[in-house]
Amino acid sequence: MVTLGIFDAFTPQNVQYLLGGLGITVGVSVISVILSFIAGSVIGIIQFERLPYFSKFVGTINNIIRNLPLLLIIFFVYFALPKLGIHLPIFWATVVAMSTFESSMLAEIVRGGLESIDKGQFEGARANGLSNLQTMFYIVLPQAYKKMIPPIISQLISLVKDTSLAMGIVLSEMTYRGQIIYAQNSTYIIPVLIVITLIYFLLNYGLSLIARWFDSKLA
Amino acid sequence: MSMIEFKNVEKYYGNFHALKNINLEIDEGETVVLIGPSGSGKSTLIRTVNGLEEIQEGQLLVNGFDLHDPKTDINRIRKNVGMVFQHFNLYDNKSTIENIMLAPRLVLKRDEAENKKMAMALLEKVGLADKAANMPSELSGGQKQRVAIARSLAMQPKALLFDEPTSALDPEMIGDVLDVMRDIAKDSSMTMLVVTHEMSFAKAVADRVIFMADGQILEDSSTEAFFNNPTEPRAQQFLSQVEHH
Repeated sequence: MVTLGIFDAFTPQNVQYLLGGLGITVGVSVISVILSFIAGSVIGIIQFERLPYFSKFVGTINNIIRNLPLLLIIFFVYFALPKLGIHLPIFWATVVAMSTFESSMLAEIVRGGLESIDKGQFEGARANGLSNLQTMFYIVLPQAYKKMIPPIISQLISLVKDTSLAMGIVLSEMTYRGQIIYAQNSTYIIPVLIVITLIYFLLNYGLSLIARWFDSKLA
Repeated sequence: MSMIEFKNVEKYYGNFHALKNINLEIDEGETVVLIGPSGSGKSTLIRTVNGLEEIQEGQLLVNGFDLHDPKTDINRIRKNVGMVFQHFNLYDNKSTIENIMLAPRLVLKRDEAENKKMAMALLEKVGLADKAANMPSELSGGQKQRVAIARSLAMQPKALLFDEPTSALDPEMIGDVLDVMRDIAKDSSMTMLVVTHEMSFAKAVADRVIFMADGQILEDSSTEAFFNNPTEPRAQQFLSQVEHH
């Protein structure tokens, strides 16, 4: 064949191997997205509520985590926790590290979103007889989440991209597997990297389309 | 029986003494208008009645419960005391009818069919039955305020607080809102406390007028006595100023 071997990299075996990596990337992302959305919301609300001592305490921890490099957190969970007696399989170690980091990022978005809601909405609801929790759940959070959708989705997009950092602990996700494939033959480097790029792009572009759909649906 | 009773109430914002030794009794069914120059503490006073502002000293009894007692369940008081705000504070994420139906559903557990029927009847009453499905953003200021009044009435409160309900409205919208308030005042069992600058409304509807300045109640008299014969120089001055425009 005269075709420069661009497609040689994509033997059925290699494609299958790469797609398996994609599955792990998506798996880590989806689970981390769900966990960090829940935890981030709770932490954000705690910070917003300004409970005596507790909110300050949670806020401080959150700020520390938010300002650490994600890779460091991944190393900590995978290498340091076992020394403390907590052993996590590599997949779950990545999920825990990513969720911890992303929760602290999302908490900041949630807190900011809540702050942006007019005080009158709280007062109207409280004067109307709603409890604090009902006010949050029915009035304030729906309005806040609507405003938060763009920053939350962009945070989730970076979460998907950041799963590749788990290469650092040799999690067999997509980027890592791509590396294994082009290690077989250096002519594979460009085609494999292009395909990985395309896959990340499609994944994240899909997410941003979902964001836009939500936006139009809620507007 | 008194619905609202202030006994030696003091309120501070930091070092600022916002309410000074307030003593005030409002009976069930009474309509009381609270007037005074801006910054006199009228809004602060009315907001203490449903706990939107805390008091630091004294006793504040609403429907028999002491708001200054930490054991008092504030939500229970709010169930019986509605409030209408200057800036309406409708739920921006809910349609007009949902604004009215939400609290009865969540707080009073009112049956859904019954709830809807009552909400529609209230919208009818405030002249907005055709706006049931609209969002607040699609309503004019006057319409929003009438929905806000309907929302408060849906809880079937014993007392209604109005905090400058027409101050944010265009002049041509004010009449409709005042008409609705006049209607409510006719109901002899409803206690109303109204902060307003609408002197014609006060004259027509109020049983009593309270005049405040600098965080104090300076005058507390029947409507007739207040407008015909104000005793306090500051009240006289205030009246001559508002009546000249």
